[in-house]
Amino acid sequence: MAGAIQAVGLSKSFQVKVRDSGLSGALRALFRPKYRDVHAVRDVGFSIEQGEIVAFLGPNGAGKTTTLKMLSGLLYPTKGKVRVVGFDPWTGGSEFKRRITLVLGQRQQLVWDLPPIETFVLNRAIYDIADADYKERLDELTTLLDLGAILDKPVRQLSLGERMKCELAAALLHRPSLLFLDEPTLGLDVTAQEAIRRFLLAYRDRHGATILLTSHYMQDVTALASRVLMINRGRLLYDGELDALVARIAQAKRLEVVLQREVGEDVLRRFGEVKEHRFPNAVLETPREHAAATSARLLAELPVADISITDPPIEEVIQQAFALGAEDGES
Amino acid sequence: MTAGVRIWARRYSALMRNAWMVDLQYRASIVLWIMWGVMEPAIALGIWWSIAGQGAVGGYTRTDFARYFFALTLINQLTIAWDSWYLDRWIREGDLNFKLPRPVHPVHEAIADNIAYKARSATVLLVIWTVVSLVWPVVRLPFDLKTIAITAAAVILAAMLRFLISFTTGLLAFWTTRATSIMELHAGISLFLAGRIAPLSLLPPVVAGIASWLWFPYMLAFPVDVLTKATTGHAILLGFRGQVIWIAIWLVLCRTAWKAGIKRYGAAGG
Repeated sequence: MAGAIQAVGLSKSFQVKVRDSGLSGALRALFRPKYRDVHAVRDVGFSIEQGEIVAFLGPNGAGKTTTLKMLSGLLYPTKGKVRVVGFDPWTGGSEFKRRITLVLGQRQQLVWDLPPIETFVLNRAIYDIADADYKERLDELTTLLDLGAILDKPVRQLSLGERMKCELAAALLHRPSLLFLDEPTLGLDVTAQEAIRRFLLAYRDRHGATILLTSHYMQDVTALASRVLMINRGRLLYDGELDALVARIAQAKRLEVVLQREVGEDVLRRFGEVKEHRFPNAVLETPREHAAATSARLLAELPVADISITDPPIEEVIQQAFALGAEDGES
Repeated sequence: MTAGVRIWARRYSALMRNAWMVDLQYRASIVLWIMWGVMEPAIALGIWWSIAGQGAVGGYTRTDFARYFFALTLINQLTIAWDSWYLDRWIREGDLNFKLPRPVHPVHEAIADNIAYKARSATVLLVIWTVVSLVWPVVRLPFDLKTIAITAAAVILAAMLRFLISFTTGLLAFWTTRATSIMELHAGISLFLAGRIAPLSLLPPVVAGIASWLWFPYMLAFPVDVLTKATTGHAILLGFRGQVIWIAIWLVLCRTAWKAGIKRYGAAGG
């Protein structure tokens, strides 16, 4: 098999202890524990080529992080086959581990009490990076991530955004060809999020790395990923381009209108569903196939200063997709 | 030096360097831990000191007790292992998530931490011991190279054994949330069977008999007895044999627990 990742029929179940509430429930669980199987990932299959940036989309508990942890060799799957950069993640050993990196937004490898540079020095030894390579890579990462002023400050004194930048640098010093990123921008402000996104694109372009990420921020997905894997309740619902997903799911278009004169909402309603109306702005939604004709009518019949046709916000489309996927799954 | 040895030497020195630098951030807590390590044998010595009076208990005079518990304090600090507590946190709170994807088994981080901790505590305690022995000649130990060499070997083996016990017990966190309680229980038993509260020869014969079939005496009592010359001749060889056998057994248990446990790992948290 070629490519960066091939997963076939990947499944993961956990046994979870079930306990009734109250003291009697606790006592019963002590002497006669009951277990329930939780199917975190069910029969998921996909393949990713070297250099692709792919985003996992899904609500909390959908199975995104579990899949990421299986691909990076942290978790053993209950069923299924996986090849990652040509290795079996659980038997690939250090050769495999040198080619990947796993960044978890909520769990950091930086030593809390020491400056980030000390974690970098440690990773130089752990990954056996030659001195010249280390220096070159550290310079590159320091420039791209703008770390110059924070390398010598104790990690505990850094902001969340600064810590995440250092975390990325620590995770990339060994120059992995495959990056697993779980919520890399979680909790960061908009500026820090953008800095991380710019950096990831630059890293991919420079080194041809493959990136598989999960994120709750749609901006991460739209800015970075050419392709999305939509997962819910452990099942893969969609694998393809984000634009194609939007075109398939979003049956409506939005007409964003700037009016020259105030117009009543009853008048606007003749052109489509009124999503927002606060003079001089109005947002109407109309079936995709009528969008062009409706905008022509708007221009002809109302005092329109400006008009633009857009897709509904990506968050709404994704919500809709999950709702449809859940119905499909239950039917 | 081959390339492999050089890589590992670099890794260990980097891991130990980090451990020392973190220690330096927590100087006060280190002093407290060492005081805690001194307190238990000091209390035991106080009790035996008053029981022995001007005579002897089981052949131990006040001087013998003083030497025994001073040797015990030093060797305890040189062999103690906290890994079950660390592993419990690594497993339950998901710290293994960033240790496992590295090309170095997490056990090496634990070993390097142990070496760093022991080197630092031993230095502090040796200074304390030297100062005390200047003003209290009773605790001076015979300084002969042969005893020191044999004690060093017994201490290294005891440290390996205690590390393996602690690490393996910590691995139980893959199955239970009570791994540290099990280690507490083990520590309670070792109070009697490892010689922490009294020299083993003072224990009732039944208890001493049970201890001789288990690993406890080889964790602490044996190296202490070698240093204080309570164990000599053929008994030293038997002691080393016991240490090696129990290290081998715990090594097998440790590897088995790791291999089985890692497949159950839930990779908690993000």
